[in-house]
Amino acid sequence: MARRIPLRVSNNKAYVWDIDDIAALRADHHICGVLIGTLPHLSQQNVFLGVPLLLMPEEVVLLVDKHLAVLVDDPTAHRHPSVDALRHWNAERAAAAKHQIGAAETKEASEKAAKLSMSEEAIRKRREREERRAAAARAKALAEGEDGNAPEASGSGSRAAPSAPFEQRPSTPSAQATPAYTITLPGSSSDLQWYSSEGCTYESVADAQAAGIWTYPADLHERAKCRVFRDLWEKGNFMGGGVKFGGDFLVYPGDPMRYHSHFVATVIDSPVSTIKPMEIVAHGRLGTATKKAHLFCGWDDEKQEVSYFSIEWAGFG
Amino acid sequence: MDQHPSYSELAAFLPNYPRAAGALFQTFNDLKLAQQWTDLEVVDLASCSRGALRGRRPRTEEVLCVIPCSLSESLSLAWLQDAFHELESPSQIYLAINTEDSSIVYYKISPGIVKPPV
Repeated sequence: MARRIPLRVSNNKAYVWDIDDIAALRADHHICGVLIGTLPHLSQQNVFLGVPLLLMPEEVVLLVDKHLAVLVDDPTAHRHPSVDALRHWNAERAAAAKHQIGAAETKEASEKAAKLSMSEEAIRKRREREERRAAAARAKALAEGEDGNAPEASGSGSRAAPSAPFEQRPSTPSAQATPAYTITLPGSSSDLQWYSSEGCTYESVADAQAAGIWTYPADLHERAKCRVFRDLWEKGNFMGGGVKFGGDFLVYPGDPMRYHSHFVATVIDSPVSTIKPMEIVAHGRLGTATKKAHLFCGWDDEKQEVSYFSIEWAGFG
Repeated sequence: MDQHPSYSELAAFLPNYPRAAGALFQTFNDLKLAQQWTDLEVVDLASCSRGALRGRRPRTEEVLCVIPCSLSESLSLAWLQDAFHELESPSQIYLAINTEDSSIVYYKISPGIVKPPV
């Protein structure tokens, strides 16, 4: 039995903090989630996000139901550390800080020396450059003085002269000059001595619900969404959030990095739920404009089955 | 309505389903007169309490099924399922959505997960 991926639950949301787990979810289990981690100092930037991965509730229910993951009550897993454990942690941290300061000082000293020699070399190069320029100007003045009365149409000598400075272009500064920073990030909190998921790990959604750390799915609509998600997943699709196209899910035939999504899916709780014709027009028309079909995914709670209808603009009328 | 030249072809269905009569009448005239469909015929669609239409677009061979409805109706997946069943499971049906100003928009509905054309 393969190791189940721990999904860390906090405030009714499930996160994945380990990048290997994130990779396994995506590559092995076709579950993408959304990276939401940003930098503490640049929390507004949302172009490049990192760990943790936030999962949609339907993804969580699927993974747990399929025995691919377990739910961990994260706040409870952080136990009260003993005084000894805290002392040990603090000593380690101080040692790491000392080590980093030492490394930074050594680096700074060596950089200063490099800078000094660099500047000496720069001065020498500049002098060379100025001399060359002066020589070229002298040569030019000389040539113009000679040919002042009879301008030459094409002289090999005059053509060669301007190209000389290009050949002598100073080389591009090497990467050596750019400063490099080393930042040591602390490991994830599951490495802490007082972190233990024992006794607060749940292998089924029902257990987690009973423990009060997880609620989804709580009603018919949420149940319908979970079952439709599972059915689409079992058919080999990848799903993402559908809000950008006014649906519940976007359905991809493969990894979203490689494939265009063909469908926007909306979940309909029961075969007798009302569908207004205006919804068909709105969904269908948007799909046509974005080369997608709209998918009505109906859940039948009595028969426990999912049925689909694909909607497109007819192309006439 | 009964003075209209199209009435004779619809006479068997309009009085039976008075609530859907307007949509059927408008859609029939649109397909026949504006869209120039051929071999247009009305078929009974009792499960949806209305007449449906069958016909061919100009210069095409395939017979298409059209179900007229009004914009203000409430439909459901069961309603669609019944329509497909009664029309003997065509690969798609066209829903003709009629508005009060008599403009009509057609949407293609296919059972199952059907990829859009490239």
